[in-house]
Amino acid sequence: MNRASLIAACVLLGGCATSSLVLLPDDAGGQGAVAVLEADGRATDAVISAGNSRTALGDPTPASRPIGDKGLRKQEAALLSALPPAAKTFTLYFEQGTTTLVPDSVNSLALLREEIAVRSGPEVEVTGHTDTVGSEADNDRLSVGRAQEVMNWLAGEGFDRSMMSAVGRGERELKVATADNVANASNRRVEVTVR
Amino acid sequence: MARLARGEEAAIPLRPCLGVLIGLLATAPAAAEIARIKQSSGVAVVERGAQRINATPGLQLLARDRLVTGKDGRMSLTFVDNTRFALGPDSSVAVSEFQYDRTRQKGSMLTQIDRGSLAVVSGKIAKSSRDAMKVRTPNTLLGVRGTKFIVDVGK
Repeated sequence: MNRASLIAACVLLGGCATSSLVLLPDDAGGQGAVAVLEADGRATDAVISAGNSRTALGDPTPASRPIGDKGLRKQEAALLSALPPAAKTFTLYFEQGTTTLVPDSVNSLALLREEIAVRSGPEVEVTGHTDTVGSEADNDRLSVGRAQEVMNWLAGEGFDRSMMSAVGRGERELKVATADNVANASNRRVEVTVR
Repeated sequence: MARLARGEEAAIPLRPCLGVLIGLLATAPAAAEIARIKQSSGVAVVERGAQRINATPGLQLLARDRLVTGKDGRMSLTFVDNTRFALGPDSSVAVSEFQYDRTRQKGSMLTQIDRGSLAVVSGKIAKSSRDAMKVRTPNTLLGVRGTKFIVDVGK
């Protein structure tokens, strides 16, 4: 079906849905792309990669136009400003072989609490880790203990446990690669992602 | 009864191990949370099978949920892979497929926009492999290669 007859068919059928894409630079200033895998039921290998562009979808060879001086439409700008804040990750460090935070990380807890408090509908993912001192089984338990220690502290600060989850990864995901049985302060950590 | 009690006793030594195992694997149950509502206004509803749930902040979403807004409605949400969505008014968007392995930070998702507008900032799924994140409109299938974009489906 050519474009003219497609449009004619749409008019006869009472209007087909039209789709359009606005491609924007990401928050870090990089530029992504969107591939058009299928258009109007047919496979294509088109890729839309022009930043700050507007493209009508449905054509196997889409043509992108710059957004231009007028900028985004009002409803597009409103949509972007409604996007949730990006996820933020905090790293807390622990004393050797314990679930006790190092003094600097005790101070970080206040920042973590603040980040959760300002978010609407927050989700908190807590992941515990250890260095390679000790057996894998002991470190699995220790990493879970560290994650639970942080989660318990947050619960004590009044955050509902239903927003949080804690897991331990033992010595499987080292921040700094070491041989076995090497003490390493960077690896004795809990990573907390706040969404 | 006595037989049952013995069985429970026998199971007790396994429990600490099991607890650690569950913690380590963080296995996703069948109804695993895929995203959480962050904000909403006006008419904003999550359709789950025959259920219609108001999209209040903190509501946990499941795969195959449909997000629907009315003429004055909006909602925003963040997925467990850090993908972020904002739906405009008069929109209908289904997350038809969603799989994500937190440990390996890999997965796939398919979002279907039947009506309205959706702003997207892609997350770890889109980074995990080429076209792992797909978006379908009534006339197009898109493969997301990053990161920030708006799709609008008119009537």
